[in-house]
Amino acid sequence: MIHRLSLLTLLTLSGSLVALSSPHETYSASHERTLPATDGANPDVLVNISKKPKTVEVNITAAVTTLFLQPGVKSEVFAYNGRVPGPTLDVREGDHVIVHFRNDLPEPTTVHWHGIHLPFESDGSPFHPIKPGETHNYEFTVRPGTAGTYWYHPHPDRRTGFAIGKGLFGGIIVRAADDPLPASIPDKLLILSDNRFLRDGAIDFPDPLSPNGGIDEENGREGPILFVNGHVMPRFTIRSGEVQRWRVVNASAGRIYRIALSGHSFLHVGSDGGLFEKPREVKEMVITTGERVELLVRGTDAPGAKSVLQNLPYDRYAPQTRPRDWQTTRDLLTLQTTDETPMTPVAIPATLRRITPLDTTKSTAVRTVVFGQGIINGKTMDMSRVDVSTHVGATEIWEIENIVGMDHPFHLHGFQFQVLDRDGVPEPYRAWKDMLNIPKHSTARIIVRYDDYPGKWMFHCHILDHEDHGMMGVLEVK
Amino acid sequence: MTRWPTRRSLYLMPFLPVFFLVACTAPGSSSYSSRNDMSARQQQITRGRALVLDHDCAGCHSMGVPSPIDPGFLAGTTDSAQFQIGPFKTRARNLTPDNATGLGRFSERQVFNALRYGLRPGETPDVEITSSTPGQGNFPARPRYLAPPMPWIAFRHMTDEQLWAISAYLKNGLKPVSHRVADSEGPPDFWASAWTAEKTGPYPAPPFPAGAEKGGQ
Repeated sequence: MIHRLSLLTLLTLSGSLVALSSPHETYSASHERTLPATDGANPDVLVNISKKPKTVEVNITAAVTTLFLQPGVKSEVFAYNGRVPGPTLDVREGDHVIVHFRNDLPEPTTVHWHGIHLPFESDGSPFHPIKPGETHNYEFTVRPGTAGTYWYHPHPDRRTGFAIGKGLFGGIIVRAADDPLPASIPDKLLILSDNRFLRDGAIDFPDPLSPNGGIDEENGREGPILFVNGHVMPRFTIRSGEVQRWRVVNASAGRIYRIALSGHSFLHVGSDGGLFEKPREVKEMVITTGERVELLVRGTDAPGAKSVLQNLPYDRYAPQTRPRDWQTTRDLLTLQTTDETPMTPVAIPATLRRITPLDTTKSTAVRTVVFGQGIINGKTMDMSRVDVSTHVGATEIWEIENIVGMDHPFHLHGFQFQVLDRDGVPEPYRAWKDMLNIPKHSTARIIVRYDDYPGKWMFHCHILDHEDHGMMGVLEVK
Repeated sequence: MTRWPTRRSLYLMPFLPVFFLVACTAPGSSSYSSRNDMSARQQQITRGRALVLDHDCAGCHSMGVPSPIDPGFLAGTTDSAQFQIGPFKTRARNLTPDNATGLGRFSERQVFNALRYGLRPGETPDVEITSSTPGQGNFPARPRYLAPPMPWIAFRHMTDEQLWAISAYLKNGLKPVSHRVADSEGPPDFWASAWTAEKTGPYPAPPFPAGAEKGGQ
């Protein structure tokens, strides 16, 4: 013991370590003000300019603008159609979607339609950058059976975390013709994001080689200010007895949310690719980056009562960079029960839909994906390399192993998958997924079928800083 | 119960492999003929075993007797045998080739890069490194280093052949043991400010005699 500690003395550690052990020094309490109550209305919806049936044609422009993200404080942002979050793309199964996109940003960008099954050329991956000043038409037809909640965001090479952090994200709702939930249930979209600001209101992106830049690279950039649809602590309303459908999107770069509503449980009815077969009663929900959940919130409070939706601590971090304030619970929104007389709750069907399980006996390959820190199977991304090669129509099992002490959320482009098991424990319910958190030192197995659409599809960690530093691979479907 | 190498044994470390190699390749050695039959790979693994034994890797990285007879040989430390380094804790990890808890998912090159450059294999790409300067020659711009007291600063002076032999032995000469050692705790710079050239001296070592040395005869 004496010997090895004396080695350390030689290294003269003491002074520098104390300084280094205080991550997130730019977090400023002055920014954590409680803001005036804001209406919890859904974000605006993109206007359909097509007159044709079953066709949705919209215009989206990404541009630099200045907005009050925090009340009274101007920030330069990147915005879709001048809004953060961008307006919602609201479509129906079977619709043909045409997006006339214009890049007015000073840098190349793409629009990735996260979770949507579409042609490779419309995926908005780093393979198809759109230069400043250029336009591009994204086109796809929404596949029947994929009703659910999705989102759109940029996916340029090495700049995704920056571009989303600057404000580029918006929701997508795909509606089913035969939705099993009663039509009387109000539909709410909640896009969760967080951010960090400098004193002058600028969004804080530290020098990548600075200590705070290093912590962002390690953890994924987080901020102490939490937004719901771009508002800090908005006020949502519910009538006593009412049931609401909350579609929750995690648009944060690195933050994994663990949400709970005081005095309430949720009926968890859906995930990335739409509804489950049956609702599940849950007290809280962990929502990993890029992931979506559909929750039924029941107005069980008396008229006039208030509840708070909170983000509870979730330890996704490695010990070296775990923020000192990681155990802080933060408020997301106030749910105000109106003074109206209680209404009779609608009945929720016990069965929502049937999800056909993918057949493991048809699997023709097992792919092993090992997540290190910033690397997949020991490699960083090379767009000229193909990491997994397969063909249209194949069914395969992917075994995703996380061998390091930090959670890494797995995302596959183009194809929804089903989870088979986690650490050998069979998944208790079926769901269509495109995001799956792989907690530190754990393994999950998924099954996927590459239905049509040949191309080169990304698979990656959805901690955006990890993705930007190369924690990504290429799946080629021929 | 943890054993620590004595100062004396560490001084001797660089010379021990030489003694060993001379001894085992000398004509007349009782095992000479059988060794000659071994494949080159087997010989490399055997040389790696010798280096692992005489560098006392098991002194920190094992729970029981520091010998290959012990089922926990090189399978990592226990919670009670952690190093307290200032405010941080270092726990010697499982070096057996178990996929989930050991070195199973690391390549021999990643293990080599850990011993030569101090780079954590789970957090460093599996590439040939040709520089010790961050950002150059595949050396990561933001290196994530092994925690003290791992003596890679000394081990890096071993020859390439010796370090490849150790990697070959750890990856191929040991049975995998499933034993999860809790993650070490360290500073957010992954010890980059501790392992600077100013604090660790030059690599490769300067020609003999350097300033503190008086030369030969």
